[in-house]
Amino acid sequence: MVSKTKLAALGIAALMAVAPLAGCGSSKDEAKTTDTPKTEDTTTTTKTDDSNKTEATDDGAKKLTGDFEIQYFVGGYGDKWWKKVIADFQAANPDLKIKESGGPKINDQMKPRWVGGNPPDFVYIDGPNLNDRQMVEDGQLEDLTDWLKDAKNIDGEKISDILAQPPQEFDGKVYDIPLVLNSWGVFWDKALFKEKGWEEPTDWQSFLAVSDKIKAAGTTPFIHTGKYPYYINGAILYPAIVSANNNDISILQDMAASKVEAFQQPAVMTALKKIVELRDKGFIDKASIQINHTDSQMLFLQHKDAFIPNGLWLPNEMAKDVPGGFSFGFIPSVTQDAGGKVVANTSTANVAIAKNAKNKEAAKAFLQFVFSKAQASQWAELSGAPSNIKGDISASNAPSHVKDAAKYLTDPNTVVVPAITFNADVDKAMQDATDALTISKITPEQWVERVVEAAKKASK
Amino acid sequence: MKSGGLNPIFKIIFYAILIIWGLSVLYPLLWTLLDALKNNDQFFRKMPWSLPDIPLLWSNFTYVWSEFSFDKYFMNSVVVTIGSTFLGLFLAATTAYVLARYPFKGSNLLYLIYIASMMIPFSLALIPLFFLLNSMHLTNSSLGLILVYASTLIAFGIFVLVGFFKSLPKELEEAAAIDGASYFGIFFRVMLPLSQPGLITVGIVNVLNIWNEYIIGTILVNDPVHYTLPVGIAMMQAQMQYRTEWGPLFAGLLITMVPVLVIYMFFQRQIASGITAGAIK
Amino acid sequence: MTRIYSSLILLKLFWKGRFNRMKLGTTKWQRNLFIATFVLPTFLFFCLFMVYPVIQAMYYSLFDWSGSSDHKTFIGLDNFKEMIHDPIVWNAMGNDYFLVVGKIIGIMILATFFAIALTRFRFKLSNFFRSIFFIPNVISVVVIGVLWNFIYNPQIGFLNSFLSLFTKDKVDITWLGFTSHTIWMLLPPAIWAGIGFYMILLIAAIQSIPESYYEASGLEGAGQWTQFRYITLPLIWEQMKVSILNIMMTTLNGSFVIVMIMTNGGPDNSTQVMGSYLYQMAFTQYHFGYGAAIGVLILIVSLITTIILQRLMRQETIEIS
Repeated sequence: MVSKTKLAALGIAALMAVAPLAGCGSSKDEAKTTDTPKTEDTTTTTKTDDSNKTEATDDGAKKLTGDFEIQYFVGGYGDKWWKKVIADFQAANPDLKIKESGGPKINDQMKPRWVGGNPPDFVYIDGPNLNDRQMVEDGQLEDLTDWLKDAKNIDGEKISDILAQPPQEFDGKVYDIPLVLNSWGVFWDKALFKEKGWEEPTDWQSFLAVSDKIKAAGTTPFIHTGKYPYYINGAILYPAIVSANNNDISILQDMAASKVEAFQQPAVMTALKKIVELRDKGFIDKASIQINHTDSQMLFLQHKDAFIPNGLWLPNEMAKDVPGGFSFGFIPSVTQDAGGKVVANTSTANVAIAKNAKNKEAAKAFLQFVFSKAQASQWAELSGAPSNIKGDISASNAPSHVKDAAKYLTDPNTVVVPAITFNADVDKAMQDATDALTISKITPEQWVERVVEAAKKASK
Repeated sequence: MKSGGLNPIFKIIFYAILIIWGLSVLYPLLWTLLDALKNNDQFFRKMPWSLPDIPLLWSNFTYVWSEFSFDKYFMNSVVVTIGSTFLGLFLAATTAYVLARYPFKGSNLLYLIYIASMMIPFSLALIPLFFLLNSMHLTNSSLGLILVYASTLIAFGIFVLVGFFKSLPKELEEAAAIDGASYFGIFFRVMLPLSQPGLITVGIVNVLNIWNEYIIGTILVNDPVHYTLPVGIAMMQAQMQYRTEWGPLFAGLLITMVPVLVIYMFFQRQIASGITAGAIK
Repeated sequence: MTRIYSSLILLKLFWKGRFNRMKLGTTKWQRNLFIATFVLPTFLFFCLFMVYPVIQAMYYSLFDWSGSSDHKTFIGLDNFKEMIHDPIVWNAMGNDYFLVVGKIIGIMILATFFAIALTRFRFKLSNFFRSIFFIPNVISVVVIGVLWNFIYNPQIGFLNSFLSLFTKDKVDITWLGFTSHTIWMLLPPAIWAGIGFYMILLIAAIQSIPESYYEASGLEGAGQWTQFRYITLPLIWEQMKVSILNIMMTTLNGSFVIVMIMTNGGPDNSTQVMGSYLYQMAFTQYHFGYGAAIGVLILIVSLITTIILQRLMRQETIEIS
C-alpha cells in the first residue's frame, strides 16, 4: 500500500505540474516538465487502485457489480480528469459496468431522465441549468447527512475532515459534497500595474484611489460580464454585503433561503451603493452591459480594462489567450473598508447521488474513491483548478494568483463564505436588478424592492 | 414617357441600394471565411474586417473536422436529412393530394389543423417528445430523429403541395381514369411524376431546415455517435464558451454552411417555384 | 375573372365545393378506402409526434411543476392568473408586436422593392442579385446571431469601428445595452435574415403578371410608379397578404432563437419576447408549468392576430385567369 506521505508528496508534485499549465503558457519547455510528473502520477495511481482492490477483496463484502452511470458536465475544466478517474475506478472494480454521460450540454440532455425518475446514479453538479437547491427541492438527491458523518475515503481518512469547504446545508441536511473549490474575486495584471506605477488594491478606498489614477491614464478601470451578471454579484455585491454586515455571513445564507427580511437589511443597501459609486464615477466600462464572459475577459487581457470581477478559473480558461508578460493579481474582495477583513465568496462544483439511483452502493464507493488526496491532486493537475481537499500549496510553484488565493482562503483574517446557491428566481431577479443598476435604470431602493418581491414569491 | 423607362437618377440610386444590400449579404460569408483562418490574438487586436495574417490557419478546419468528429456528424446529418425528407414528403404528398382533389367531410378542418400547427411553440413539446421516443426506444438513434423531423415537415409540406396539386390540370387524371387506372395508379403514375417540381422544392426547403436544426436534436440524442452537424456545432459552441477558440468555431460554422449553399445554388429555381406554388394558389 | 379572396391560410376554404367530383366509374367505397389510406397514416404520424407532445405540454400549464421533478401539483388556472400580473409577460408581448410590426414594414418594403427592381427594371445582374439575396435564409440562425453580435460589439465591433472612421473620438455605443428600446437593435438582423424568402415569393408573383398589361399601360403613358400602383400592387396583393401573415406567425413563434443568442433577453429583460421568456421559465428557472402557460398564450395570441390581420387586409383582389 502506498503510504500517505508519498501521496502527499504526489499532491505537491501534481500541483507543481499545474503551475506551468495555468501560467502564461507560451513555451514548449514547460509542457515537457508537465509530462514527466504526469506519467509518474499515473503509475502511482494504478498502484493505489491495486491496493484498493486487494483491500476491498480482503473485506470480502464490497465487490461492486451491476451498472453504474455517471453524469458530468464538461466546461472550463475539460473532461480529462473524469476520463481518468473513471478509468481508475473501473480498474479497481472490474465487474462494474460503468457508463459515462458527459458533455457541455449534458445537463439539458439528461433532464428528461431526471424528470422520468430514471436518473444516472452519480452526478457532478456544474454548468448551466443544473442547480443543487432546485434538485433538493425536487427531491432528486440522496440525503447524505448520515453517511457523511463517518464516511472514510479509500485511504481510510474521514472525508468530512479533509474537505476544505464543508457541504452546503439545506434545512440542516447535506445532499451534495463540494469537489472543486474556487473563489470569486477581482483580477488585474500585476505587470501592467508595476509598469504604470499603480498600487494593487487591498480595500475599497485603495481600489477607488487607484481606479481614479487608471481612469486619468486613459484606461477604463473596470469591466464586467453584463450578459451574465452573476459575475459582478459574486465578486463584488455579495462580499460587499458581508463586509457591511460586520463580516457576518449569515445574511447571505438567509438570502439564499429567500428570507425577505435579509434583503431589507441596511447592509444590502450599503453594498448596492458601492456599485452605484463605481457607476457614477464612470469606472465601469460601458461595453460591459452587453457582453459575455469571453468578450469581457478578452478585453481585460488586452489591457482595455484594468480590473475584472471573475473566478479563480479565469487564468486557466483563458490560458491560450494570455499575452506574454501578463501576471494575474487577485484579491477575493475589494469592498471592505481599510483595515477590514477580506471576504472570500467561494464557488464550488459539487457531486451528489441521485435519490432514484439504481446503484447507490457503487455511487458511494465512487465518492470514497473521488475524495482521496490522490484524486484531488489529479484533479488539480488535469483540470487546472483547486480541488476541495485540504492541502498546502504555498511551497509549490503554483501561479501567483492561486497562491494569493490560497493565502487568503487559509488566512484566519479572511471571512470565507461557503458556497451558496440562491433560489433560481431570486438569483435571476438579483442579476437583472444589478444590471439595471449599473446602467442607471433603477435606484438601489428599487433593487431591494424588486428582489424582495421575488423572494416573497419564492418563499411562498 | 417610354414603357418601363426609369429616370436615370433613380436608376443609379436603385443600383446603389441593390449593391449595398448585396454586399451586406455576401460580406458575412467572406467574413466567416476570413475569421476561420485567424487565431484569437488577431481577433481582438485587429479590425473586424482585416485580413488574417499569413500563414493562413487552415489547420482550424482540420482541427474541428477531427477533434469534433465532424466527419461522423456529417454522415449522420446526411442520413437523417435524406431519410426524414423522403418520409415527410411522402406523408405530406398523399394527404395533400386528397385534400386538393377529393374533399371529404372534415377535410377543411383537417387542413386547418395542419396549418394551425405551424403556430405552435414547439420547444415546449421537447420533454414530452423525449418521453414518447424513450418509451419507443428511439432516443439516441437516427431513426428516431428521422421520424420526428419527418413529422415536423408534414404541415409545411401539405401547405405547399395542396396548392401545387390544384394547379395541375384535371384533364390528365380524367384521361387516366377513363383508361381504367385506379386511384392509386393515378396518384403514383400520373400525379406524382407531374408534381415533381413541387416535391423537389418542398424537399429542398425541408433539407435546409433540417440541416440547421439542433434544438430537438440535442435533446433526443446525447450519444456523440449519433450527433448531427448542427448538434455538433451547438456542442462545440457550448465548449468554445469555456475555451474561446473563435477560429475553429468559424471553421465549423463554415463547414455546415457550405453544403446548404451548394444545394441552394443548384436548386434555386425549384426553391423559388416551390415557395410560390404554395402561396399563389 | 374577379372574385373575393377570403385570403389565405386559416380561413382559406376556397376549394370548398369548387371541384366537381370526378366521374370515375368506381364505387364510393373504393374512393373512401383510397382517401383513408392516404390521409390516415399521415394524420396518425402527425398526432403521435407533433400533436400529442404539444397537447401534453399544454396540459402542464395547469400544474405547478418545476420541470425537473417527478411530481407535480394541479393548480388549475393559477399560472394564467399569475401571468396577468407578471410585467415581463406584457413587456415581452409588446416586444413581440414591435418585432411583428417592424418586420412586416421593413421586410415588405424592401422585399417588394427588390422584387420589382429585379424584374421590372431589367437591371443587368438581376439574376445574380436574386440568387445572393436569398443567402441569409440558408444560413443557420446561430451563425446570424454570432455575426450580428460581432457587428454590435461596442469595443471590437463592426458598427462602432465603422462610425469611428467619421468621428474624432472612438465611438463606443453599447448597441445592445440601452436602458430601454434595445429591442430596436434586434430588428435589423431579423429583417436582414428574412427578406430573401419573401422577395422570391413576390418575384414569382410579378412574373406571373402578363407583360401585355404593362405594354398597354405604357402606350397610355403610364410611368413606373403608376404601373406599380395600378397594375403590380393589386395583382401581387394576395402574395403580400400571405407574406404578412407568415411574417407574423414566424415572428411570434420563432424570434426567440435570435433573442436568446444575441441578448439572452437582457439587459434587465428589456429584449425578452414571449418565446424566450417561455424558454427561460420552463428550462432555466424551473417553472415548466408557467412556461407551458406562456406557450398557450403564444398560440392564442397568434390565432387572434391572424384573424385580425385577415380582417384588416380584406380587400378585393384581382386574379388573372
